[in-house]
Amino acid sequence: MRSVWVLVIVLILLAGLGPMLAPYDPTAINIPKRLSPPSVEFLLGTDALGRDILSRLLYGARWSLGLAFLISVISLVIGTTIGLAAALGGKIADWVMMRTTDTFLAFPELVAAIVIAGLMGAGTWSLIFALSVTGWMRYARVTRGIGLSVQSRGYVLQARLAGLRGWSIARWHYLPSLIPSLTVVWTGMFARAILGISALGFLGFGVQPPNPEWGSMLLDARVHLRSTPLQMIWPGLAVVICVLAINLTGDALRDALAKRDTYE
Amino acid sequence: MIKTFGGLVMRAIVVLFGTAILTFALLWNAPGDPAQAIAMARFDALLTEEVIDQVREEVGLNRSFWQAFGDWLGPLLRLDLGYSAVTGRPVWPDLRTAIGYTFPLAFVALAIGLVSSVPLAILATKRPGGFIDRFAVGIASLGNAIPAYWLGLILILIFAVKLAWLPALGASTPAHAILPALTLGLGVAASLTRIIRSGILEARGQPFLPAIRRRGVAERSVGRDHIAPHAAIPVVTVFGLELAFLLEGLVLVEVIFGRPGLGTFLVQAILARDFSHVQAVVVLTALVFVIVNLIIDLIYRVIDPRIGENDA
Repeated sequence: MRSVWVLVIVLILLAGLGPMLAPYDPTAINIPKRLSPPSVEFLLGTDALGRDILSRLLYGARWSLGLAFLISVISLVIGTTIGLAAALGGKIADWVMMRTTDTFLAFPELVAAIVIAGLMGAGTWSLIFALSVTGWMRYARVTRGIGLSVQSRGYVLQARLAGLRGWSIARWHYLPSLIPSLTVVWTGMFARAILGISALGFLGFGVQPPNPEWGSMLLDARVHLRSTPLQMIWPGLAVVICVLAINLTGDALRDALAKRDTYE
Repeated sequence: MIKTFGGLVMRAIVVLFGTAILTFALLWNAPGDPAQAIAMARFDALLTEEVIDQVREEVGLNRSFWQAFGDWLGPLLRLDLGYSAVTGRPVWPDLRTAIGYTFPLAFVALAIGLVSSVPLAILATKRPGGFIDRFAVGIASLGNAIPAYWLGLILILIFAVKLAWLPALGASTPAHAILPALTLGLGVAASLTRIIRSGILEARGQPFLPAIRRRGVAERSVGRDHIAPHAAIPVVTVFGLELAFLLEGLVLVEVIFGRPGLGTFLVQAILARDFSHVQAVVVLTALVFVIVNLIIDLIYRVIDPRIGENDA
């Protein structure tokens, strides 16, 4: 498991220090050197406009990982709020909130995100909106489930009798039991967001050129599949490594959590 | 049971109504002037204000939200998908053609997923932690992390470009479906392997098994009649998620392989701002989804009677 943590730290460092490590400007066009194979000058080769692929990958980490982080946090906030409102707000609120959640769940997340981002017009803001608005439902369900089970515990009843209400009960008595499970859901959604961002980028509905986002790099590379196939390998590999690292971290967290719950 | 059934159906209807409002609100609020886009698609460069206004009047874009929603929902309830404002052709025949390309592909992909994941998971759990188990878990983790479009491009690179064994673009022969079906099937197999494996392991640890064994039930029957049904429950639960995963993959895979299915239909409709096409796909997807989830909920309650009536 230690190797996964090392991998995660390396990835965070690469994304954070990317601009310092990148040998070239990721948007610098260099037509004479277009579609170069990997060499000492360009470690991973260049794309159709002669831009250094390694530099674009390193800068792209900020787009992919940074946006995925932002999106997973926005949907975490939406989902937790709706889940808590359902658990705490009484029967009618619960019904309304849960049917709303079911309604949003009735569309496959990525398909809905494609439609929303596509109709809103391609760009980073519609990407963030589309993926956040289609990504909060799992948080809401988990929050409500745990909220309902916490509700019957003695300390919550005592807090109610002591005169605490609504949001302060949520803050002091629900949140501590929610955090472990929500962290596990969050790692899963973080990984999904990375996949979603690159999928939308690949369809041309996401981050727009010349910004180096991994999905849109794949879209550029696809045309040159025959002549320079390696160009297509790198951005996909970056997505796979990041998603794998996050998923494995999530699995480790979940196992640790299950172990703790058994021993309690 | 009948009460539960009624409650579930009622809930599905509420959710369907919600999806209709959501879909319509999305189309209604989409930025840009759809009248202009439609006029552009029809008449190319010959755009004047009068032409745009005429289109606006004709397509009915100058109404209030709820009025327009009512006008929109009415025909939909009569299963009338209307005409495409861009092509001027009825929506249903074009949609049906697209479904004709998508459905067999989805079916084959699901079959590939099941046929490869069930034996792999059973083999893996013969010796948990052993070589095959670690191999299966590794493949499954990797499969969950590989985006469908990238896997598709790699398969094209290997089997169509380098080896030239299979065609990559289009959908003219059944051979054209092999690479897209493999791309999708491998993704399905990866997530199913994980779920079936942990389902079997969980079932193995159930306290009723030693009791059954002590009664002298043959080991084969223990596996078939007691472990298998138990391990099937999580598979049924995640079937809805699998279907979502499959549909998401389909959109991307069809675009990569140039197959004229539902995904391509949807993406082209979005690019052309063909709202009647977009809404047809969205409404159809939601309908299929809500019905599948309803069926799953019912099956779930039949095979696992422990689920109470109030469980979400």
